[in-house]
Amino acid sequence: MTTEALSPTRERSPLNNRLRAMLTQENIITLVVAIIVAGAVVVPLAVLFVSSFKVLDPLGWDTTWGFGNYVEMFTDRIIPKAFLNTLIISSGSTILATFLGVSLAWINARTNCPGRDYLEPYNLIPFFLSPFIGAIAWHNLGEPQTGLLNNWVRDIFGVDWALINIDNIYGVIWVTGIFFAPLVYLFVVGSLRRMDPSLEDSARTTGAGLIRTTMTITLPLVMPGILSGAIIVFVTSAGEFGVPFKLSAPYGWETLTTQIFSKAVGDDANHFLGAAMSMALGIITVLLIWIQQRYIAPRSFTTVTGKGFRPNVLDLGPWRWVAFGYNLMFIAVAVVLPIVCLIIVSLHPVWTGKIVWADITTINYVKTLFWWRPDAIAAATNGIVNSLILAFGGASIAMVMALVISYMIHRTKGFGVRMLDFLSVVPIGFPGIVLAMGVLVTYIQTPIYATLWILMLAYITRFFPYGQRNISSIMLAISEELDQSSRMAGASWFTTLWRITIPLLKPGLFAGWILLFIIFLRELSISIILFTTGTETLSVGVYYLTNFENEPLTAALSMAQTVLLLIAIYAFRRFAGREALTA
Amino acid sequence: MSNETTGAYLQVDNLVKYFGNDKAVDGISFGIPEGAFLTLLGPSGCGKTTTLMSIAGLHTIDGGRIKVGDTVFTSPKEGLFLPPEKRDIGMVFQSYAIWPHMTVAENVAYPLEIRKIEQPEIDDRVADVLKLVGLTAEADKLATNLSGGQQQRASLARAIVSKPRLLLFDEPLSNLDLKLREQMRVELKRIQNEVGITSIYVTHDQSEALVMSDEIIVMSKGKIEQRGGPVEIYSRPVNEYVSNFIGVANLLKGKVLEVNEPGQGLFELAQDGKQVQMPCQLSPGIAAGEDAVLSVRPENVHAVREKDGDTTLEGEVTFAIFLGSHVDCRVQWGDFEWKVIAHPRTRLKAGEKVYLKFDPEHTLAVQP
Repeated sequence: MTTEALSPTRERSPLNNRLRAMLTQENIITLVVAIIVAGAVVVPLAVLFVSSFKVLDPLGWDTTWGFGNYVEMFTDRIIPKAFLNTLIISSGSTILATFLGVSLAWINARTNCPGRDYLEPYNLIPFFLSPFIGAIAWHNLGEPQTGLLNNWVRDIFGVDWALINIDNIYGVIWVTGIFFAPLVYLFVVGSLRRMDPSLEDSARTTGAGLIRTTMTITLPLVMPGILSGAIIVFVTSAGEFGVPFKLSAPYGWETLTTQIFSKAVGDDANHFLGAAMSMALGIITVLLIWIQQRYIAPRSFTTVTGKGFRPNVLDLGPWRWVAFGYNLMFIAVAVVLPIVCLIIVSLHPVWTGKIVWADITTINYVKTLFWWRPDAIAAATNGIVNSLILAFGGASIAMVMALVISYMIHRTKGFGVRMLDFLSVVPIGFPGIVLAMGVLVTYIQTPIYATLWILMLAYITRFFPYGQRNISSIMLAISEELDQSSRMAGASWFTTLWRITIPLLKPGLFAGWILLFIIFLRELSISIILFTTGTETLSVGVYYLTNFENEPLTAALSMAQTVLLLIAIYAFRRFAGREALTA
Repeated sequence: MSNETTGAYLQVDNLVKYFGNDKAVDGISFGIPEGAFLTLLGPSGCGKTTTLMSIAGLHTIDGGRIKVGDTVFTSPKEGLFLPPEKRDIGMVFQSYAIWPHMTVAENVAYPLEIRKIEQPEIDDRVADVLKLVGLTAEADKLATNLSGGQQQRASLARAIVSKPRLLLFDEPLSNLDLKLREQMRVELKRIQNEVGITSIYVTHDQSEALVMSDEIIVMSKGKIEQRGGPVEIYSRPVNEYVSNFIGVANLLKGKVLEVNEPGQGLFELAQDGKQVQMPCQLSPGIAAGEDAVLSVRPENVHAVREKDGDTTLEGEVTFAIFLGSHVDCRVQWGDFEWKVIAHPRTRLKAGEKVYLKFDPEHTLAVQP
């Protein structure tokens, strides 16, 4: 064509131009982030995989390649039992949490239970608190000799036996079950609330009763939500370290996580065997999460009808008071009793299982919070500072990453987007302790080991998907044309991000930030593998005190953490919606 | 085609765009003179929006060249791609894309702020353009508090405030209800006339295209079917697709028997063993002896009760609906049902036998 020959731009070198066209702000930033994410997620898992085939010789001097670690997992004296215990605990807590979560969600969303609008925030509190602290509290409630509940029963009824013994795997099931019940609740309550009431009404008109309708219509419709929640609880329980560490491991019931911990830092440390066990745990959990993401989550029925409708609720008659009492009981055992117990214990110089009014003191708070005896409990005071640094810094960095990743996944169509989408699901499949093992074996000989940076790296790698989902859900809801019109108005990619995209995403950014802040503030299973002296976190401080000091000091630090978390939860409730959690 | 487009203000040459393995735009070329209003018309998936997005720079293209004035927007062969923000284009989106976190005035001021214009001038120009679109009273409202029609106006104000060299519309009226849509058509056209910016308008609504455009390009499957003014597109469609897409037409397959003078000939219809011949206009490129499609608008078929020398067909009225200004009839002829618009005075009734007359000026033989 003649016009082309006349064009003055024809002179430039085509290759040079093509390269220049690719070097846009957008492409450079997204490429950098993609490389960082791939490195952060893939490298530790790859090193973990490779390390699991290194076998330490009996003297611990040298290694050879082979399947020895995997063989040892089946022949060892303890590990096979730990496997079994993990299976029992996960199954038990899944059943308990699913039962509690579904029944509470149904009561709150579909019935006329009194005060249900006020109950919901309290039902969700355990989701944000630390299950490790829950285990410590329940230990002080249900220990046979010194447990507060047992002593109350003895005092009131004059019996000489203990009502409950929490220090066994059933205790672990109990505590994980009540603490993870809100997970199932969150997965189910949304679809129950949005459900078209005519679906139930039409069942009732065919002559089905209330129970029959609930069982044949209501529950099947929310089954994908129930299954999703149950799988997440199973995986989370299998990766839970604090609860079995406090309640079952000292009494002879080891789990996979407590075993991985002892292989990572214990007296019989063997990182390679720990890596193999982490691989075994990780493969199981990642498979379950894959099934959930791939087959169950997409099947969630959309039963949303028009706008602004308020579904009818079922009239339970006098039974509504039973439902109300049941809900109060849950809040009592999951929130009120543990916190009250911790407060009582923390106010005693020594804990004997009985309240001694004359001894009430704040000495434990002074000791843990204000460097009273820095030599002995430095871990606690360090932990508060370090955890706040990690929570503020980590949440901020993770949200920036999450923002760019969400943007790439939803707003660009280029190469690597599918891979990034995949990479942002992978960390959810691996328990914190597994990823921490990977980070440990990867970075142990680098300068970032034994610094706070390694903790921050692991935190962000493991948890950025939660922040990313918060942003993505909003990004999906706002039209891409809002960005495009800014470009057409003459703004560059970066200006558009700064002036249009980020302001529109503010609610999601904020919700994600607080969620990560909360998660990082209470994090235990990553920290316990990667901390060293000086880089203890809050939960590691609690671990130190419960292991090497006494229960009142432990309770005091636990309360400090709980108060911080409650403040963050309040902020979360104020500024973010419930939807921010299930994503 | 390239002859036609040289010297135009906007010039699209041989544009190709793939989505995966699907060719969304298949080598189209067109140009528009400065200040004109061109509509890309076609059903969804015909490539019209892709073409618009390619001009906007919101897509990269896989082949061809887009140029406005002396600026090459994109040309993959030369490795040229001007990012959308450097193209100086105003665009009105289907969803209006009014930023919900800003007021109307802030939305409209945004393109000027980006261009680093002094605040007093920004204020003046925003006030002017809000007056032009009739939103002066709404200037300080948050965008989310506007009605659909007002958001549409705000979106237009934002697109024209920087006096861009090109204005793009991506089905801007499709989210409005019918009454507002008809009102906004006229309004949009008035404002475009007033500011005089070269405009490209994408729509699937043929009446919108006919009302607003200086020129229309009818597209299908990534290609241009026909280009012309509204009257030409309506009265002289070149093929069956365009006849069918624009307005209503009676379309019958048949054969061109002979070509008399350029552009005129004799068409033969065959139906139920009956053969009928009628004089017709030929669209370009049709030769004697070729298969073609007869295209007649219902208002150009005349149904009469008495047979005379000009009548060609005999049929039976299957139904007739009185619509005040005209009567909408169907006339069965063999297997084919003719759509006929008759004068109300004829009082045609279902079951009647009628004769159909055709006006050679408005009887077209088009390409299949």
